[in-house]
Amino acid sequence: MTKPVPRLELRRLTRRLPSGGRELTILDSVDLAIDPGECVAILGPSGSGKSTMLALMAGLDRPSAGEVLIDGAPIQDLSEDALALLRRRTIGFVFQSYQLLGNLTALENVMLPVELSGSGDPRGRAASLLAEVGLSERGHHYPAQLSGGEQQRVALARAFAIGPPLLLADEPTGNLDSATGGRVLDTLMALRERHGTTLVMVTHDPAIAARTGRQVHLKDGRIDRITAGSPA
Amino acid sequence: MRLGAFAAYARREARGALGRMVFFAACLSVGVAAIVAVAGLSQGLRDGIQGEARSLLAADLVVSGSRPIPPALDALVAGVPGLRRADLREMATMAAAEGKGDAPGRSLLVQLKVVDGAYPFYGRLELDPPRPLAELLAADAAVVGPELAARLELSAGDTVLIGGQRFRVAGIVRSEPDRAAAGFAIGPRVFLDGAGLARAGLDARGSRIEHKALFALPGDGGDASEALAARIRAELPDATWYDVDTWREGQPALREGLKRAERFLGLIALLSLLVGGIGVAQASRAWIAGRLDAIAVLRALGVRPREVFALYVAEAALLGLAGSAVGAALGIGLSALAPLLLKDLLPAVPVRFFSPVAALRGIALGTVVAAAFSIPSLAAAWRVPPVRVLRRDAEPLAAPWAVRLGLGAVVLAGVFAAAWVQAGELLAAAGFTAGIAVAVAALAGGAWAVARTVGRGPRGAAPVWVRHGLAALARPGAATIGAIVALGLGVTVVLATQIVQARLAGQLGADVPTRAPSAFVVDIQPDQWDALRAQLEAEGAEGIDSAPVVVGRLAAIDGRPTAEAADPKTRPEDWEDGRRRWALTREQRITYRAELPEGNELVEGTLWSDPAHPELSIEEDFARQLGVTVGSSLTLDIQGVVLEFRVTSLRRVEWRTFGINFFLLAEPGSLDDAPQFRLATLRLPAERELAVQDRLAAAFPNVTLINLRQVLDRVSAVIARIGQAVRFLGLFTVVAGVLILAGAIGAGAARRGREVAVLKTLGMTRAGVAAVFSLEYALVGLVAGLVGSVGAAVLAWAVLTRGMEIPWRWPWGTLVAGAVLATLLSVLAGLAASRGALARAPVEVLRSEL
Repeated sequence: MTKPVPRLELRRLTRRLPSGGRELTILDSVDLAIDPGECVAILGPSGSGKSTMLALMAGLDRPSAGEVLIDGAPIQDLSEDALALLRRRTIGFVFQSYQLLGNLTALENVMLPVELSGSGDPRGRAASLLAEVGLSERGHHYPAQLSGGEQQRVALARAFAIGPPLLLADEPTGNLDSATGGRVLDTLMALRERHGTTLVMVTHDPAIAARTGRQVHLKDGRIDRITAGSPA
Repeated sequence: MRLGAFAAYARREARGALGRMVFFAACLSVGVAAIVAVAGLSQGLRDGIQGEARSLLAADLVVSGSRPIPPALDALVAGVPGLRRADLREMATMAAAEGKGDAPGRSLLVQLKVVDGAYPFYGRLELDPPRPLAELLAADAAVVGPELAARLELSAGDTVLIGGQRFRVAGIVRSEPDRAAAGFAIGPRVFLDGAGLARAGLDARGSRIEHKALFALPGDGGDASEALAARIRAELPDATWYDVDTWREGQPALREGLKRAERFLGLIALLSLLVGGIGVAQASRAWIAGRLDAIAVLRALGVRPREVFALYVAEAALLGLAGSAVGAALGIGLSALAPLLLKDLLPAVPVRFFSPVAALRGIALGTVVAAAFSIPSLAAAWRVPPVRVLRRDAEPLAAPWAVRLGLGAVVLAGVFAAAWVQAGELLAAAGFTAGIAVAVAALAGGAWAVARTVGRGPRGAAPVWVRHGLAALARPGAATIGAIVALGLGVTVVLATQIVQARLAGQLGADVPTRAPSAFVVDIQPDQWDALRAQLEAEGAEGIDSAPVVVGRLAAIDGRPTAEAADPKTRPEDWEDGRRRWALTREQRITYRAELPEGNELVEGTLWSDPAHPELSIEEDFARQLGVTVGSSLTLDIQGVVLEFRVTSLRRVEWRTFGINFFLLAEPGSLDDAPQFRLATLRLPAERELAVQDRLAAAFPNVTLINLRQVLDRVSAVIARIGQAVRFLGLFTVVAGVLILAGAIGAGAARRGREVAVLKTLGMTRAGVAAVFSLEYALVGLVAGLVGSVGAAVLAWAVLTRGMEIPWRWPWGTLVAGAVLATLLSVLAGLAASRGALARAPVEVLRSEL
């Protein structure tokens, strides 16, 4: 049996930013491979390079050196347009601050990626996903009319709307109290399970990280250690 | 991105942004309304003129000239089957009521129209009583205009004196079809027939008569009259001296005048649209600034940069379309009001105010301006980094300088394209664009300099509200520069028009030199002069001057017949050509005298220096139009006698003295025996003018007295009307400017709310806060007013001194009033826009910050 092509692979990934006249190395020659269906947490203190790593994985930012491969194909040299199309088809996002569009209803927020991908029946797809996250009744509400937990669940529905092979989550419960955060995390894990999605989640909370299969600990832009735990 | 998804998102994007959208659209509506009003009115007038072309000519074809219609024309048209003809002669003369006892009756300068034949062939001549003109007129009967009847207190059956002869008033003329096209009228109408004119004795030499032959061709669809016109132009001897007009050409001179007016007013209207463009740019910038997060999310979800950009541009274009459509509707309404505003200026033709072409033009221009002014702001959407979803502080990347240059070019191209559409002329469009660029640069520079000076100046000793107000003006990103530019442009247009018009009116009226004559007397026969002079002196007239006038025509220049030089087929829209043809074919009036008249200065050659030839001295501009100079020879046909003259000097004439001046001055002795009449100028005390005029009309009925003051009053009234129209359009620019000022203030409402809260928390009263704000808005208005006033002064100076050669005088009153009004307007608009912020309770604002 041959080893499958990793869903996501980082090769000597480096990101430097100019800061006060000199270069600051945020991410320093990181190597990492994540297999299809795997669930990985990125841990580390503030400034360790977690969010930068996530941005590079999604093609939201460009590496200073090294490579990002999705399904074996390097993405760091793709044009802005090609990256956009890649995200449209392949990558889902969950953000700490939800990032719902304020002038769209919950339902429309979920419909948006489906509409962008051009696949059929955005409304039906969005409605069934809202049902999956338990918000069937709130589809016509605007984000401002929803609680933080509800907003994040809408964001989850949006992230899974196109059934992306890869989901990137940035502190998905960071803005929520622990009880609400726990329920959102349950929903996320359930969705991931059901859709067979590869999940990369940035967090600083070891308890949350413990629910993933592998924990990558970052420190000063380098991988400090990798621990394994049982997936939820 | 599929079109459906695109449209769906674009629709949702509009939610919760009603205020912004209304502002964006309103900025455009104001300017588009002005543009559509101008274009709609002129289109309506053009259509009206075209539709009424036969009525405006009262015929299918008209041959006209200042010389009698030659018998050769009879032969030329003899073969045309079914042709009908009527002959008109028009001239200015005096009409008077009968005297009572020794006292002469009242008199008035009138426009005489002498009709032989079935005038008019087309259109309605409305008479009271409603009977055909030919039935009312007789050798001893006249039909008069209502103004004359009113001034001389005449009614039907009364007697009016014309040329000293008694005519029975047989009717009143309410309207005549071809008067609409005639433009400026020197006095009310009087109709006579040929026998009546002969009896009045006014067809004698000297009177300036316009001769017209009107033709109706049975079943003329246009081709027949044009073919006939072409034949007349080609075969009529001396065709150069006549104008041949057909109805299908539809009043080319009138339409040309209309086109010029439309071009000028259209550009002024465009200015208000461009000022609206500044508002559009501001609104777009605020819009994008508030959407950076959403754009980053879209980008993270896989929307391509160009799709994001297209989304916002489409949104802006749609808003532009909507705002323009509203503006177009307003403009159509406005153009329906125009006849009330402009009633003496417009030809009296039926006008249909809804012109789809005008509305479409307005909507297209509005949309172009919306795009051109919003694209530079919206282009930031292209450069929003998607990583902003993770890092809130990731701002749009700075545009490379090439892109910035490109975006600037988009705005300039938009302005230029719009100006081209409005002016219909490349050069005018380029000039307009350059002028706008300079004006905007000056206004922005002025605004920047003031903000900087205020920001740096000492204000330690000032009361707290003054300090705060000054600081607010100088605050970075206060968005006041745009508002100042917008308001300043409006002030410039309105004030410049006001200054030019006031100065023109002043120049025509009060500024006439005190030694200038108040009246001209024309058509004095040589044997009447001594008696007339004696009477004028007895009446207390001062500064009496007179000159003999010989009337002739220019037959050849340097041996080349004038008819060759003046091609009758010159295009009426070519001004230079038209001037030249006019100069060559006009009825030349020549005087003769030994010395240079007062107010004349030789610029070339020497007066009466060639003993071998009869000599002429020519006014320099006229010489240029004729294309002659010192040494040229001019052949003049003085009523059949051909004389050759040598040009030996050129003169510059100070026309503003209103003295007797001639383009052509002949050497004494050369014309002494030619048929001639005398022209006199004199000065009368204003209060005695009418009485003297009445007595003169009674004693010398063939003589016409032209009261300069009355003529100038009429000209001033027309100029005032034009000025009103221009200022009215200019007001749209001011409205747009105020709107933008209010928009800029409204956009900062949240920040203002916090400011109010903080100031109130610190113990400032509501009135105190209002004072702080008022001072800030007052400063904005004052800067706009001052810079705009300076701009207006420069513009007016250029127009007056360069365009019209009227000496410059600083219109301090107008400039100060303009600046003060701009200040007041700004304070009112500002306080209205920050009403909400002022009313908020401090705790409410601070809580919402948590």
